[in-house]
Amino acid sequence: MNMAWKEMKKSKAKFIILGSIIFLVSFLTFIVSGLANGLSQDNAALIKDMPQGHFYMNTDAKQTYNLSQIDPKVQDQVLQENKDAAAFSIQMGFVNDAEEKQHTVAFVTSTDSPLFEKVGPGEIVLDRSLEKDGIKVGDVLTNNQFSGEFKVVKFVEQKKYSHAPVAYINMDNYKEIYRAKGLQLMFIPGQDTAPSITGLQSFSNNEFLNTISSYKAENMSLNMIIWFLIAISGLLFAIFFYMMNVQKIGLYGILKAIGVKTGTLFRMMWAQMFFITITALVLSVALSLGFNMIAPKGMPFSLTIEGTMLLSILFLVIGFIGATLSGLQIRKVEPLQAIQQGDM
Amino acid sequence: MTTFTIQDVTKSFTTGEVTEQVLNGINLSLKKGELTALVGASGSGKSTLLTIAAGLQRASNGQVQFEGSNMTAMTQEEIRKIRASKFGFVFQSAHLVPFLTVEDQLMLMLDVSESKMSKREQKEEVAKILKLVEMNHRKDAYPASLSGGEKQRVAIARAIIHKPKILFADEPTASLDSKRSRDVMTLIRDLTKTLNITTLMVTHDEEMLSYADHIITMKDGLIV
Repeated sequence: MNMAWKEMKKSKAKFIILGSIIFLVSFLTFIVSGLANGLSQDNAALIKDMPQGHFYMNTDAKQTYNLSQIDPKVQDQVLQENKDAAAFSIQMGFVNDAEEKQHTVAFVTSTDSPLFEKVGPGEIVLDRSLEKDGIKVGDVLTNNQFSGEFKVVKFVEQKKYSHAPVAYINMDNYKEIYRAKGLQLMFIPGQDTAPSITGLQSFSNNEFLNTISSYKAENMSLNMIIWFLIAISGLLFAIFFYMMNVQKIGLYGILKAIGVKTGTLFRMMWAQMFFITITALVLSVALSLGFNMIAPKGMPFSLTIEGTMLLSILFLVIGFIGATLSGLQIRKVEPLQAIQQGDM
Repeated sequence: MTTFTIQDVTKSFTTGEVTEQVLNGINLSLKKGELTALVGASGSGKSTLLTIAAGLQRASNGQVQFEGSNMTAMTQEEIRKIRASKFGFVFQSAHLVPFLTVEDQLMLMLDVSESKMSKREQKEEVAKILKLVEMNHRKDAYPASLSGGEKQRVAIARAIIHKPKILFADEPTASLDSKRSRDVMTLIRDLTKTLNITTLMVTHDEEMLSYADHIITMKDGLIV
């Protein structure tokens, strides 16, 4: 007999309240982690969206890419030896629109590579977020350090760096603006071990992200928020399931007295825990993804399927632990004690 | 025919440094189709004896023989299996499962006793027993909507649905008024005879003794 289902059917209100709490807690966790991931993505989508590989900067730069400058001879040699490799630079700056309104951008320039936008002299490719500021394809933008003008040729999706939209420009234009003689960084995609290059230090994608001081500090805070929330939500889950089952110790004692196996009682608890948690998680994932669609355009929000799956599995495991812990109490309950406690 | 024997059973409880002797060497035999009533003052040890006999707690010494096996030497799982398939219980309170209908309470007991009946046969058996205890009209009711007497009738039906060899009843009429008590006792006596069950009942109500085939009086942990 499916006692777990029969109890839920009879005590709908109790289980709906419990399910609602689990739903609200998991929904809160999904939304906050979506916002935190969104912020993190907003800070470094340009780097995060690159394939796995190895970044290189000058050894003398002391892990600060702004201070790095790749020797042009080394750069040429690396590009020759690694066909997929690219050299690139990132610098924060401004562009002025036709109404002389300044827009903060992260200028990016690179050698010819499918990883970066190919931009001709006097052209600029912008992140789509600038479209909302009224900039259109064909508009002319200027920069105070640049003698010429930039013509907007294209918008790209989700290319952000340091919370600013990326602006891809031609290498010659970049060198003029920043009086640069070379590029700051090199990237070789898809190799397990980083090829050793004299005078250059290699970084994995994550290591490189952590050399960006603003990203590292912000990401640490965001990760702490998420993990605290997960820990507290997890504890709440475990406590709710523990309390729900401990309240029924008298009933379990009677069932044991008439001969119900302890294993049957465990299965009943687990079935209820999985049913409530999975229903609550499905609802909160659906609502979080819905929120993703209706969230204001400027609000950074990123909730990946992998992230939601990971959190969902974590909540299921924690709920299972809570239910099992209460089951251990129930295992100890003496049928006689339950009988002597009177009617339920 | 003797189906159940209790030999030299003692039981003591120790709290801190104080040891209380509750049963002082009990010998008792129960026969098929007979209702035996255990009576005695509060603290005489009658309920303790019943729970030891029912395998709900263990004796300190002595043997409980059921169908030729010594229950005191069995594991918890072996005792559980006997409780589930060979014993029936009626407690002072009905102790029904609050989220199961009257019909489901009995279906659960058939599941627990690992009945080989098909679902349809189980339903038919449930209907038959509910008719026997005159509760068929309330088969879809939940315990909360039943009166005290009705709950106890369902508890009795649950205790006998799996055709137990022994029915243990601990003050089955304690929570009922006198009319309902008489009804319940008539039911227990009739079922004992009809189904040829061995029944051991604890009661403090002298009026109920008239339903018993044997009366055993206990005092200070001994049969007197």
